[in-house]
Amino acid sequence: MSDKALLTGNQAVARGFYEAGGVVAASYPGSPTVELLESLREYEEITSKWALNEKIALEIAIGASFGGARSMVSMKHVGVNIAADPLMTFTQIRTPGGFLLVVGDDPGLSSSQNEQDSRFFAKFARFAILEPSTPQEAKDFVGMGLALSEQYGMPVMLRMTSTLCHSRGPVTLLERTAPVISGFIPDQSRFCMLPPFANAQQHFMQERLEKLGQALDGLAENQYEDSGRRDVLLVTSGLPYQFLRELTLEYSIYKLAITYPLPITRLHDLAREYKRVIVIEELMPFIEDELKSAGIKAQGKEFFSFTGMLTTDNIAAGLELAGLLVTRPSTVSPTASLPIRTPMLCAGCPHRPVFHILQKQKALVIGDIGCYSLGILEPFEILKTNLSMGASLGIVQGMGMANRHRQNSQPLVAVIGDGTFFHSGLAGFADVAGTDLNITFIILDNRTTAMTGGQTTPTTGDLGAPRHAINIDDVLKSFGITDIVVADQFDYAATKTVIQEAMKRDGLSVIRVTRPCALNFRIKQTPYQVDQDICISCRACIGVNCPPIHMKMHPGKNKKNSYIDPHMCVGCSVCSQVCPVKAIKLAVTAEEVKP
Amino acid sequence: MKGNVIIAGVGGQGLVLATRVIGEVALRTGLDVKTCDVIGLAQRGGMVWGSVRFAPKVYAPLIPAGEADYLLALEQLEGLRWRHLLKPQANVIMSRQTTFPNRVLLEKEPYPENIPVGLRDLGYKVVEVDAEGLAANLGNTRLANTIMLGTLARFLDFPTPLWLEVLRLNVPERTREPNAAAFKLGFDQGQTN
Repeated sequence: MSDKALLTGNQAVARGFYEAGGVVAASYPGSPTVELLESLREYEEITSKWALNEKIALEIAIGASFGGARSMVSMKHVGVNIAADPLMTFTQIRTPGGFLLVVGDDPGLSSSQNEQDSRFFAKFARFAILEPSTPQEAKDFVGMGLALSEQYGMPVMLRMTSTLCHSRGPVTLLERTAPVISGFIPDQSRFCMLPPFANAQQHFMQERLEKLGQALDGLAENQYEDSGRRDVLLVTSGLPYQFLRELTLEYSIYKLAITYPLPITRLHDLAREYKRVIVIEELMPFIEDELKSAGIKAQGKEFFSFTGMLTTDNIAAGLELAGLLVTRPSTVSPTASLPIRTPMLCAGCPHRPVFHILQKQKALVIGDIGCYSLGILEPFEILKTNLSMGASLGIVQGMGMANRHRQNSQPLVAVIGDGTFFHSGLAGFADVAGTDLNITFIILDNRTTAMTGGQTTPTTGDLGAPRHAINIDDVLKSFGITDIVVADQFDYAATKTVIQEAMKRDGLSVIRVTRPCALNFRIKQTPYQVDQDICISCRACIGVNCPPIHMKMHPGKNKKNSYIDPHMCVGCSVCSQVCPVKAIKLAVTAEEVKP
Repeated sequence: MKGNVIIAGVGGQGLVLATRVIGEVALRTGLDVKTCDVIGLAQRGGMVWGSVRFAPKVYAPLIPAGEADYLLALEQLEGLRWRHLLKPQANVIMSRQTTFPNRVLLEKEPYPENIPVGLRDLGYKVVEVDAEGLAANLGNTRLANTIMLGTLARFLDFPTPLWLEVLRLNVPERTREPNAAAFKLGFDQGQTN
């Protein structure tokens, strides 16, 4: 008798790996796939590891596959860009242990710096794509993908999207298949990719796709739902299928489980019966273009956007645009002009005083990826660029070089976190070490990979975490960097002086600020409170932009004074140091602590 | 039986627990269920929302516009933000919690006033719950969500013992008793309103 559970897409993939006899899994955290590796922790039968970046994670999975074990690597979409180098060569190798690359695309950019359609990587790398539409399918497709990987000798991409990763559906739980691990069987021509061995593999990759393509015509998972009408065939895959099924439709649907390669013979046969073929897919016209390349007339992006998530409402709108009748309820438009709610730095966040100081210095700051990316937003707006992990190192150099050509030697500042430092900052620091440009680099060492939920970094080890600990200052010194200052950013005046002085010096100046993440380490100390008799309503504290601080009309006053919510305040003291009249003090009585 | 519940709140309020509990309760009664939590970097005090859909068969995890039966608003502004998803005269269970977003803290925009009154004027049936106040009385402000779930439970046709069992399995062991008490307290709120 099997159990049913309500699992998210992420949890279902983890479960699927367990049930399929998966052995080794690696990942780097990034929304929407973070929960996947975290769910794998539950299974002691699986070795799972957070690697320092996606390239290493993929290489770990490759090593396990070489050892004949079923392996899996998971990442958000941009992670594939970092892992692409080993991926593009590994794909040439006839895969020993089944290998699954789980990618979380993010149509609509709910939490990403770009909106890439990662399916193109699988086509680029000549291997298959599975696109599940429910958590049950996500679980089933893991086993299917690993089996295909071993049968055809290729990596397989399991392509998820944010909403599928985070949505729950019923999933039937099954027993684990015992893993069969062959061990590494040396074979120079198989595993050593260089001429002439790699040359032969080009033919191998071509043939495996052709073989799979031919076998697909009978694949049950590619579902044909025949409505009886022959005017329009709707072709779709993934979560959009579920949104499509919400509509009352009389059109036939062909739902693809494997979106590369396509079952071309089957699709030709079907297309001949219909007047029109319309493809409903998110982001790029991947399926649409494959159909067109195969000589099947299809429409898709004429009616459905190349950007954003597809849902019932915009699918209905697209079908109406295509001249198809759709019943849908009349709707109320979203309430106009409500204040938006952007994310903010948490109460007590150690990035806050650094941004406040830089803002007052009117510094030009190159940003990087992490919680500190929120420095882009109001009120600080201090990070002027945001690109990709570790990009601040190169960008600040390039900008400095361009400035020099126009005789501008304005000090440049950049920020990077400890997580990002180890992910892709090491080579950048080694590269910029000997510069004579005026660059000040602030390392925001809050001892965690915060934005993705507090995974450890090598500096978390300082605070007793089980990970191997590495000292950032020692690393930089080994690169020949000598101008390194360690500062406590909760000492506002001292940190301000350190930053100002560093910005005056030519060459690379590094400042490492050391306060840990308030949220991840659950920091909650005695809160501060505003003395209403001293407050002059100048809003200096409001400018620090901490969630507990807002202006409030107090009884007996004729103008607003500032107020600190004691439930939210964690006692970092930054606002008290910024107040020009010393109106902000530690709450000392129980009465003061209550609102 | 079928129903669509939209849950709205601020990052960090514990919305994911709410969708998980409601979803599991529905699943255990034999219904098909889909839930969704729109989170990502929004945990940093940004807007978060979630949906629970239950019926003999459910396809999409998100509620199409105009089809939500219930709005569980853990925070007032976020509740107001999702009213376009509601059926006419839908039930709204709304906390008294107001959390200022960034632009309101910076005094660039006002926080809308009288949100529950405004929603009643639009024809929705609004039950207000001082979830944070009641939770403080129970000695733990984190019980606010469970109180809200208790109030919602009064409107849904799932047996109370099932709610309590699912809740028990989804909270840390040392908080099981307080959560059960919080649920019952919330359930009673639905009656007095």
